[in-house]
Amino acid sequence: MTVLVLELKSITKNFPQRELLRGVDLALNSGNSYVLTGDNGCGKTTLMRIIAGLEPADGGAMRFEGMEVDLDRYPEALRQRMTYVHQQPYLFHTSIAHNIAYGLKTRGVRRQQREKLIADAIAWAGVAHLRDVAPHKLSGGERQRVALARAKVLNSHLLLFDEPTANLDSEARRHAIDLIDELRGGDVTVLIACHDREIIDMPGMKRLRLASGRVSAV
Amino acid sequence: MELLEPTREAFRLLFSGDPSLWRIIFTSLNCSLIALLLIAPLSVALGFIIAKVEFPGRRALVVLVQALLSFPTVVVGLVIYMLLSRQGPLGFLKLLFTPEAMIIGYMVIALPVLVVFTLSAVQGADPRVYETGRSLGANRWRAALTTLFEVRFGVMAAIFNGFGRVVSEVGCSIMVGGNIAGLTRNIPTAIALETSKGEFAQGIALGFVLIVLALGVNIALSILQGEGGME
Repeated sequence: MTVLVLELKSITKNFPQRELLRGVDLALNSGNSYVLTGDNGCGKTTLMRIIAGLEPADGGAMRFEGMEVDLDRYPEALRQRMTYVHQQPYLFHTSIAHNIAYGLKTRGVRRQQREKLIADAIAWAGVAHLRDVAPHKLSGGERQRVALARAKVLNSHLLLFDEPTANLDSEARRHAIDLIDELRGGDVTVLIACHDREIIDMPGMKRLRLASGRVSAV
Repeated sequence: MELLEPTREAFRLLFSGDPSLWRIIFTSLNCSLIALLLIAPLSVALGFIIAKVEFPGRRALVVLVQALLSFPTVVVGLVIYMLLSRQGPLGFLKLLFTPEAMIIGYMVIALPVLVVFTLSAVQGADPRVYETGRSLGANRWRAALTTLFEVRFGVMAAIFNGFGRVVSEVGCSIMVGGNIAGLTRNIPTAIALETSKGEFAQGIALGFVLIVLALGVNIALSILQGEGGME
């Protein structure tokens, strides 16, 4: 049985002198992976940010796991059920462990359990050797891996990745793609905005295209 | 003017633990630090709100706070004096010529310094900081604290600058403190008084303390900023 995780109806977003989203309809099923393509500046990032509650929509409706979402007063609880990973992830100027712990703390995970989850996530992302390196000294690929570990550890129902392989060299890109592939499956729903052919062609990846302010299945 | 002898006497006063001198230093530090402790949370929060929240009159508020930066401290002292004087609306508190009155004055003087520096630090922060916090599940309050923590060296600079402004302030201290020996006499008012009496030794000693404080605060700040691993 397919379970709808996210449903968008007629989402609109206008910028001065530009109508970016002209009534986006979108339905994402639980456990599926979706790739969202579209020309640069077509609104992929804006759409993901609206879903993640980082930007208001001008109109339309959203349902998440069957619950109506008031887009004018985005529910705080929703932020704990989905995670948006920025195209160029920001790492707090503390430590890798603290970065991964951050979301766990917002969810009230106890220290002992947190420590174990952090250690597992660091090992999973292959950044154990960087544990003592200041986050702002990491390379773009290393930052992306920490950001993926930070997202993974939260067990979010919906993961939103914005151009996760953009601006990465070939080795870093390879690492990021492998980690994203591992994140797919189970009950986790993944929506990836990107142009990366390898991600688009991943087995089981459902393709969506944003063009002229609307999303359509490809 | 013979400077060698008063300077020698100044250091003798300092290092012999002259009680009246150290009482003056204590009054200065005590009033300044208490004022900063009381006003810093409000000022930092105000700086953050002005930097991050769009509201009507925001621009005017920024101009007002910036204008307050250059407001003469003696005028601040005058206003507080009128409020606290026996005929003033707060005269019943009987705070005039007490350390508490000086603390109030220092809070008013420090507020715009802290607000403007915090505002500038938050505006200079990477916009992804707040959003990253939010996208990882933080509520507004927690994401705001995270942002402030990320710009902690800017916030520290705000507090240190606020301290520098109040610890060396004369006009307001004299107006509302009254320069009472053993009670409200602080470093700058004592320097002014002793110099006017031709007693340079204590003035030099206190001036030396002020310079050490200013240097110490700046050195501490630059060490902290260095450890912060500026990008």
